[in-house]
Amino acid sequence: MAAPVNIQAPSKTWELSLYELHRSPQEAIMDGTEVAVSPRSLHSELMCPICLDMLKNTMTTKECLHRFCSDCIVTALRSGNKECPTCRKKLVSRRSLRRDSNFDALISKIYPSRDEYEAHQRRVIERLNRLHNKEALSSSIEEGLRQQARYRSERNHRVKKPTQESDNTTYSGGEDNGDSRSHLSHDSAPSHTPHPCGQTPPEAGPSRKRPRPSEDGSGPEVDSESPTPPLRRHKEGPSSEIELVFRPHPQLVHAQDYNQTRYVKTTANATVDHLSKYLALRIALEDRRPERDPEDQGREEAGGEEVRAEGEGGENEGTGNAEGTRLSNVSEKQYTIYIMTRGGQFSTLNGSLTLELVNEKYWKVRKPLELYYAPTKEQQQPQQQQPPTPQREA
Amino acid sequence: MFRLNPTDSSDTLTDKPRPTTEPDGNAHGLPEHGPRSGSAARGSVSKRLQQELMTLMMSGDKGISAFPESDNLFKWVGTIDGAQGTVYEGLRYRLSLEFPAGYPYQAPRVKFVTPCFHPNVDEHGFICLDILKDKWSALYDVRSILLSIQSLLGEPNNDSPLNAVAAELWDNQEAFRTHLHSTFQK
Repeated sequence: MAAPVNIQAPSKTWELSLYELHRSPQEAIMDGTEVAVSPRSLHSELMCPICLDMLKNTMTTKECLHRFCSDCIVTALRSGNKECPTCRKKLVSRRSLRRDSNFDALISKIYPSRDEYEAHQRRVIERLNRLHNKEALSSSIEEGLRQQARYRSERNHRVKKPTQESDNTTYSGGEDNGDSRSHLSHDSAPSHTPHPCGQTPPEAGPSRKRPRPSEDGSGPEVDSESPTPPLRRHKEGPSSEIELVFRPHPQLVHAQDYNQTRYVKTTANATVDHLSKYLALRIALEDRRPERDPEDQGREEAGGEEVRAEGEGGENEGTGNAEGTRLSNVSEKQYTIYIMTRGGQFSTLNGSLTLELVNEKYWKVRKPLELYYAPTKEQQQPQQQQPPTPQREA
Repeated sequence: MFRLNPTDSSDTLTDKPRPTTEPDGNAHGLPEHGPRSGSAARGSVSKRLQQELMTLMMSGDKGISAFPESDNLFKWVGTIDGAQGTVYEGLRYRLSLEFPAGYPYQAPRVKFVTPCFHPNVDEHGFICLDILKDKWSALYDVRSILLSIQSLLGEPNNDSPLNAVAAELWDNQEAFRTHLHSTFQK
């Protein structure tokens, strides 16, 4: 017997899909918060899939809306099948394409100096070109990454940006390595001091610290007799990244004190201490920002390293002024990190926990991990609660 | 410039010689008359190959690998591991990939170096695979080629076999596996 449902079914085209029923709408962010977008995630959007370079004179297919450089798609149609290289939709003539000047404008907004970007890419690739035998390749890629970091800090000397994060989110996106994570990575990875693992150059950040499975034999090498070069750690799957929403503790922090919500993306193996230290550094940097001179701008990039040098003054710290001292006092003990537990209680997180563990243990849902921070109690008020680790500030 | 052609066979439409913008034309005596010839084009092909190499090295795909054979970026050696759950599981094959000057608008020449007993691979290692011929798209790259060949191993097209013996034997997977593994030579 036909149930009423069956009768109605054909007309129910308006029915929401499961996805639409269950998704929680993203709230619009209206408070001027800056959101760091990883240039690596943008890269695939801005890249021409034919030349694998940044789109140039973007052409978009009218029906399937795939984008290519003008030169690339014209050559592709001339030399191959008359179909969209991406999806094989028929492209009968050049009239199946349109200029996408909006997209060009978008790219030039994100990468204001394309020449510089290209020159940089060329340098990296030339270097690679010269040395692309197996052994040299690994070192040359590392060298390339190092150069990128150097280049980025040089450029920050030159290009002064009005807003604090823009140096990351806009221009330095040109480098694969220059994404927003490196902020935290810099801060959390010991640099210029021998790393426990002994082989991590500073620029690569914590993601390279991961112990790498050596058994798989699927490495890029062709001959099985040479060990897999330690390259694949440069890029990790999405599973190793974690997104955080970071807010001041609503009960312990006065509304006017750093009432900023921070969005952070970092590697999952960073610890709560790393995060805390990063936070201390950000806040210290923001505090001193108003009276800084242009010279300081570049030092900011190196800020994480300064912190690491704890007490050694930092190698690029010529002045040794009060601010520098202040930065070198930055410690993971200044701020305590909390997470809200089921009952609406705030629970202190132990500094040695990795964010991955926190996520698994406390959070579990598939949305950005929400954490709260407040100055560690002894620094502000009489102690009410034992902080996770004893304090060792001078 | 592009003619409407409903049958859309690439042969009939590979139209007109391209207006040579490069004064030196194909003076380098490159074997292929790619859609773009000349040193500038060669540079852009190198660039794309470099990008691919970088991506490949960082992606860490299981079961495939590729690297330039020597200092010639236009000739690579790749390896494919037989996929799990197929008769090729446990076997590793080496392949050679040669990139024409018209890459990526023209497909690379890909062949097995390790002898491969497979319905769509002949005794010289040539592979019958549409995406390496008329179904080539500029979007394919070394990685997608190797992954395609890897999946071709487990799912041959037995309708147009290059190796008829292998095609006939395919239906009897146990016999196929036995023959494959007893004749496999690196």
